[in-house]
Amino acid sequence: MVQKMKWLSALMALCMIVLSACSSNGDSNRETASHSGSEGEEPYELNIVFPIFGGVPTDLQAVQDQISNLALEKINATVKLTPINFGAWDQQTNLMLTSGEKIDLMMLSGNTYPLKVAKGQLTALDNLIEEHGQGIKKVFDPAYLSASQIDGSTYGVPSNRDLATNYSFAMRKDMVDKYKIDVTSIKTLDDVEAVLKTIKENEPTMAPLIPSAVGASIADSYITYDSLGESFGVLPNFDNGLKVVNLYEMPEYAELLNKIHSWYKAGYILKDAATNKDSQFDLLKSNRGFGYLAKTKPGFDEQESKNGVAVVSVPLTLPVATTSSITGIMWGIPGSSNNADKAMQFLNLMYTDKEIVNLFDWGIEGKHYEKVSDNVIKFPQGVDGTNSGYNLFMGWLFGNQFLSYTFEGENPDIWSQMDEFNSSALKSKALGFIFDVDPVKTEFAAVTAVSQEFRLALETGMMDPNKHLPEFISKLKSAGIDKIIAEKQKQLDEWAKSNK
Amino acid sequence: MNAENRMIQSVGHITMIIISGACLIPFLLLVVSSLTSEQSILSNGYSFFPQEWSFSAYEYLGKASEEILRAYGITIFITLAGTATSLAITSLLAYPMSRRDFPIKNQLAFFVFFTLLFNGGLVPTYLIYTQYFDMKNTIWALIIPGLLMNGFNVLLMRTFFMTSIPLPVIESANIDGAGEFRTFFSIVIPLSMPIIATIGLFQTIAYWNDWFNGLVYLTDPQLFSIQNILNRILTDIQFLSSGMADSRASGSAQQLPSTSVRMAIAVVGAIPILIAYPFFQKYFIKGITIGAVKG
Amino acid sequence: MTQVMRAQEKQIGVKKKTMKLKKYMPLILMTLPGILYLIINNYLPMFGIVIAFKDVNFSKGILGSEWIGFKNFEYLFKTSDAFIITRNTILYNTAFIMINLIVAVGIAILLNEIRNRFLSRFYQSIILLPHLISMVIVSYLAFALLSAETGLMNKTILPMLGLNEISWYTESQYWPIILTVINVWKSAGFLCVVYLAAIIGIDQEYYEAATLDGASKWKQIWLITIPLIMPVITMMTLLAIGRIFYSDFGLFYQVPLNAGALNSTTNVIDTYVYRGLMQLGDIGMSSAAGVYQSIVGFVLVLMSNYVVRKINSDNALF
Repeated sequence: MVQKMKWLSALMALCMIVLSACSSNGDSNRETASHSGSEGEEPYELNIVFPIFGGVPTDLQAVQDQISNLALEKINATVKLTPINFGAWDQQTNLMLTSGEKIDLMMLSGNTYPLKVAKGQLTALDNLIEEHGQGIKKVFDPAYLSASQIDGSTYGVPSNRDLATNYSFAMRKDMVDKYKIDVTSIKTLDDVEAVLKTIKENEPTMAPLIPSAVGASIADSYITYDSLGESFGVLPNFDNGLKVVNLYEMPEYAELLNKIHSWYKAGYILKDAATNKDSQFDLLKSNRGFGYLAKTKPGFDEQESKNGVAVVSVPLTLPVATTSSITGIMWGIPGSSNNADKAMQFLNLMYTDKEIVNLFDWGIEGKHYEKVSDNVIKFPQGVDGTNSGYNLFMGWLFGNQFLSYTFEGENPDIWSQMDEFNSSALKSKALGFIFDVDPVKTEFAAVTAVSQEFRLALETGMMDPNKHLPEFISKLKSAGIDKIIAEKQKQLDEWAKSNK
Repeated sequence: MNAENRMIQSVGHITMIIISGACLIPFLLLVVSSLTSEQSILSNGYSFFPQEWSFSAYEYLGKASEEILRAYGITIFITLAGTATSLAITSLLAYPMSRRDFPIKNQLAFFVFFTLLFNGGLVPTYLIYTQYFDMKNTIWALIIPGLLMNGFNVLLMRTFFMTSIPLPVIESANIDGAGEFRTFFSIVIPLSMPIIATIGLFQTIAYWNDWFNGLVYLTDPQLFSIQNILNRILTDIQFLSSGMADSRASGSAQQLPSTSVRMAIAVVGAIPILIAYPFFQKYFIKGITIGAVKG
Repeated sequence: MTQVMRAQEKQIGVKKKTMKLKKYMPLILMTLPGILYLIINNYLPMFGIVIAFKDVNFSKGILGSEWIGFKNFEYLFKTSDAFIITRNTILYNTAFIMINLIVAVGIAILLNEIRNRFLSRFYQSIILLPHLISMVIVSYLAFALLSAETGLMNKTILPMLGLNEISWYTESQYWPIILTVINVWKSAGFLCVVYLAAIIGIDQEYYEAATLDGASKWKQIWLITIPLIMPVITMMTLLAIGRIFYSDFGLFYQVPLNAGALNSTTNVIDTYVYRGLMQLGDIGMSSAAGVYQSIVGFVLVLMSNYVVRKINSDNALF
């Protein structure tokens, strides 16, 4: 036994040597970083990493070549597009960042962004934006661009899209017409309930209310507070004098759960709501669902109706901008980039260059789309969304969506409406506050586990809140939610002081 | 005696038929669901006798047929190459460990067993394979990390060698002047066909079903194996249902495969290996006969 | 005089050692590729265990990050669920180990007795079928059976028996049975192939001699088959014990569809860790969970191996 331990420890020593080699390797990578080349130098290849759904489009290479040509001309750089599937995104990007693989630009999402900053994986962008990103500055309301600041430094630039959110009730248009529902009269959840009742009575096999997406809860789609990140400690009515409270102990929350549960008992909600794996569109198409509460933006009805069933929605809340509605999708430059200046120059193009934006959004003219007029396009003969060689359709991702063409038949004024939507939105009192979970990591993990257990079942009405809400609250407390809320309050107070 | 034998046979068959049924029926439901129209599943529920049959799930997969065929090619290559290499190094390590006269056999067993209990986790493994062996986006990444040899198989083989290869046979071969390598290849291996077929089967299944290496080490879809493609379709759904997705992403939800497509995916992934299984069994049976003759 | 003797002895000793080395050189050579692979694939990455004790910051490198002792472990014991998840993990795994063992050995013995080769082959491929399907697909199958609105149970089977619908995904009392059945269904076939290979490896002479002595089949199974495959049984069981703190994530997370109402009977260590870290994604905390599980498994295996060695040293793993 002693001998065994001896060579085991020898092995461990060997591992240590490798380990130190590993970390020194990382350091040398970092030293060579930054500093741009002057004219006449080899063009720099920018590795751009972003998420996609489904297969890689067959013509991605062709689109990449066209973007490279433009970038070569303008900033002496070429691009390499590295799409990664949503399902693999977290795993692969974390490993790539951890091992210091070269990435020049990557998408960041709000929920993991502060953690990446805390781990030292991202480059601060403030000076770079000043130097190379004037176009980006012009696009945004300063309050929105600075929403991603952590300790006074910006590490991510949001894509320019819908930066605020409101919540609406979306319904099947055919049923609305059939039962002559007056959509303009729907203003509150009680009005919604009346509609649900009508549908239940007349279409007994149809669930009047379904989740807005696979795995979404009902309460998730009707939010009247700033979640300040992840709902452990929230700001009711987006203000509350900056006093953080426990959402789950709010009487309003209990009331909402009771309402949802009573709907569930009355058969208004899809029975499988909490475990359902079918998309809302499939449920509507197969006559199993009528409507859903959803996060909406201008153009929502058209977007949803593309999936086969015409939908009309009525807003239940006013648009609000919060940190998370803005930081949901951003672009950042990882520390492993060898040329952060070039990366920022290219990012600037993504917010100012109409040609580049539309290559990203719609592909190549004549091949993937045809122009109808200056800003309106359509599919060429024989091409549609399913067989197009470039079918990402992710305008909300690639920089400035407001430069994107619109499709024939869609509202051509959508971007001015969106601009109006964004600028008219109520700004949450805590807009720009980002919670650093690091000091309460232990509690955060425990509380997340508890909330993962209960939330979906409670918020889809499957669990009786009278019985289980108190249990949920007491488990959250024993997991340490109060400590998280106290920490959040402390950070929020400090933030408010320094942002006066 | 005969009566007893006959009774054992009939009890055996009856039990096995029940067990086979239990294994087969859910699979049948899988196949039938993949051939049921989506409407039928959603409105009438799952059934062995669907109201409406439909091939649309397979048509959906057929759209990606070029990609799927290439992926089959890659899967077949990694399965064959991986299983062959794996059998070679596994048996070469297991054999000395099985020799009672081999002085460090216990230390080796512990060395192997230790790897089954402790692992460094994904991040360090990834660092080793990408920074020192440069395997990112290569076909080797599908063959080597994690799969090539498994301590469990080594121990299984060692146990088989220990219990089924009598030491006198080896000793007499040694006395006849055969070197260790010759003894191993001409005596030990032929006597060990059952275990080789078994481990070969395990490795084949492991390589065939593996999607994890592709998920971790590949970003280039040209190298995706069939399971990577199937898994990609499934993980997109999982990602959405994990609640982590920004609701914006659900704008892409029209690309979500429907229930019947998911079932078709499982069928497409499993059918080829079911066809391959009888070939293994041929060796398996051969192994049995050789094993029976050896005594 | 004595010095010379000692020197001579030493020489002989050295000679013996080199002789031994020479004799076993080919065997040592054989082991090299395998050992090399295990070092690269398993031992080198073990430096990662230090991550569990660090607050990792990549700008400082893994080694440069701060040591924080056992802080990464705390969240595992933080909630009132800590007891439930540990209890569930151990109870489920103990049940799985025993039931799988009995079912798999039983089927293997039966299969070995079946004379009709064609049918025996047929049964073998069928029982392996469940092993070929991923847990995600199994979860879809389970849903096809148990869904409240579209499931086969509620739509067809229960009405046929004249029973009321059951809301499977909200009633936790059924799940210990459901999960155990699925586990056996999925893994018994695979284990059975392992045991079958071991049984086939048994020298037929034993049975011939026993038959001559007039021993019944039943006796032969108890006195020959079982004792001779005991090393394999012990090994498989020890391996399973080593993983008693792990659980099949797919089985406990995907099959119950993460339905909160089932948590009292489906929450295990792995699902707890997954739920807790899905937002944080902290590698320090996730490797802490791994280290905790490994160490408990390691201690349990060393203890069980010690007991096995006391009973029959041939069956012990090391």
